[in-house]
Amino acid sequence: MQLLDRYEEVVGHHEVERLRRLASRLAGRRIVHVNSTRVGGGVAEILGWMVPLMQELGLDVHWEVISGPADFYRVTKAIHNGLQGLPVALKPSDFDLHYEVNKQNAAKLNLAGDVVVVHDPQPIFLPAFTPQGQVQRWIWRCHVDASRPNRVVWKHLAGAITRYQATIFSMAAFARPLPCPIFMIPPSIDPLSDKNGPIPEAERLETLNRFGIDPERPLLLQVSRFDHFKDPLGVIAAYRMVKPYYPELQLVLVGGPADDDPEGAEVLREVIEHAGEDKDLKILMLPPDSHRAINALQRSAIIVLQKSLKEGFGLTVTEALWKGKPVIGGACGGITLQVHDYHTGFLVHSPAGAAYRIRYLLRYSDKRERMGRTGFEFVREHFLLIRHLRDYFTTLLCLDHPGEADLVA
Amino acid sequence: MSAIEPFAVFDCSLARLPIGRSCSNLRELLEAIRTVPDMVIEHHMTRCVLADYFDLNEFPNELAHWCWNMLGDHMLAEQLGLIDPYQHDSINSLRAELINAIEEHIWGIDRVPSCPPGLELHLVGSRLVAYDTGERITTPTALAEALPLLSLRSYFYHVHNARRRTAGSSDDFSNWLESYGADASLVARLRKIDAHFLNLSQVRDQIIEAFRDYLPAPQLILKATA
Repeated sequence: MQLLDRYEEVVGHHEVERLRRLASRLAGRRIVHVNSTRVGGGVAEILGWMVPLMQELGLDVHWEVISGPADFYRVTKAIHNGLQGLPVALKPSDFDLHYEVNKQNAAKLNLAGDVVVVHDPQPIFLPAFTPQGQVQRWIWRCHVDASRPNRVVWKHLAGAITRYQATIFSMAAFARPLPCPIFMIPPSIDPLSDKNGPIPEAERLETLNRFGIDPERPLLLQVSRFDHFKDPLGVIAAYRMVKPYYPELQLVLVGGPADDDPEGAEVLREVIEHAGEDKDLKILMLPPDSHRAINALQRSAIIVLQKSLKEGFGLTVTEALWKGKPVIGGACGGITLQVHDYHTGFLVHSPAGAAYRIRYLLRYSDKRERMGRTGFEFVREHFLLIRHLRDYFTTLLCLDHPGEADLVA
Repeated sequence: MSAIEPFAVFDCSLARLPIGRSCSNLRELLEAIRTVPDMVIEHHMTRCVLADYFDLNEFPNELAHWCWNMLGDHMLAEQLGLIDPYQHDSINSLRAELINAIEEHIWGIDRVPSCPPGLELHLVGSRLVAYDTGERITTPTALAEALPLLSLRSYFYHVHNARRRTAGSSDDFSNWLESYGADASLVARLRKIDAHFLNLSQVRDQIIEAFRDYLPAPQLILKATA
């Protein structure tokens, strides 16, 4: 059985066949992906499934990883933060180190290809140090919101971008005017992963039992790191406004450990203090690999919240919709692309708005179920990895035929 | 009958191309409509249907949707929602109607509405990449059987995009049925489907329903063979 065959159960035989058909137009094309780590983080996770699936579809794909001294990662972490608009302090020698490590990697990596996709800013200077003619086209794939970058960081990176034939961003809102075409490819989820695949009922119940959650009572859930932009205090406020009307209601806020994030630790302290002694309100700190536990919690929730004040794409929303849950989300970022009033959930602008919509959805089980079904279908159509691959292939075909015209491949 | 070419099933995919520009109020929208490339107008007025699973049964284009939901300008949203891009033979003509509608609206209001931060309209163009799936359908009955299996993207290509390709008001399904010699009333019924005001699932359902109504009496379809 091939890898892609497994996805036929989810999206249907025809959908997979059509992906194969589209990919056949790119058969044998040599594609190289380059990033800065093989394990950990969202980009490595994407490449972990994308590379073998592209290979299975007949493309000659391989994955290269740049390496450098510890100081290089300190610098690129700061550049990464600066790209997202955070204040950073970088010295000229830090930028020199970025160039130098890219130069060393260009000499040792196997970059010969029709297309090299460079992920995020760490390897962005590779085109500058790769011999002419070795690579036909360079694509810079930016996974973060670069719409309001730190000026100094942007000036540093802008020089590199001129050597690319195209860039890819996850959302239109993340892009800024650039001298080369900008493509938009939203992220996706893997419907068969530990985080999103089906789980046995016994495992779901065991997970609830482990965390002291009553499986018989309605559960509200928000999964996100402890950050002011995720508004965990707003979620607690909304829960408290609803609780008098639904005393059986439970709320769980799930996040990761915040030991290495001073701001996160401070927000967590505030959240714990705010939660008080309410036995129906639980704050769970789970290790980063707790995919099955999060899956079980999402499947157990009656409503999922993502009451962010600022958000990237919001893949936790995608995950919840995939599990057939209506989502109450803050009206910002990628949440507005996924949560549509009365269809997949509700967009809200305040804790009171969230409370009002929670009460509404608790009251109307039929609407909850209908929204859950719509959300599931919405994700199946737009946000699974099959669509992600199709978008990549479409982008590659467009680059073969520059211009604005439509094309028949 | 042997001279009739089988129906070739196509699928398509959109390459979405943000132009790195956004609008936060009506004046910016007007300026953008005046100056953006054709593919941006085409994307927000027609191709957005491919990205939207259900919302477009309220508004058939993203400009109306944004005016209603993000600007809170319901009057303009209603006007923009009524503009049918397929009634225009060029994007320039469509652009002129949009400019006229927005200009006229701004002329009559005291305060130009703005959206809250974070809810801007980000301008996106697109290129359509169509590809032959290799599937060939030789009879109307076989087409009726295949319809539920087609992707929504195929419906976009064979219905919406067909109207652009053929510079007319017909879709690939009815055109093929007509050349096959199928009953004119089925052809007419397919052409009566107002695809512009439906989302793609609804388009699919209505087309399937039209065929289903005719399938019990296949002799009506296969007039040429009767």
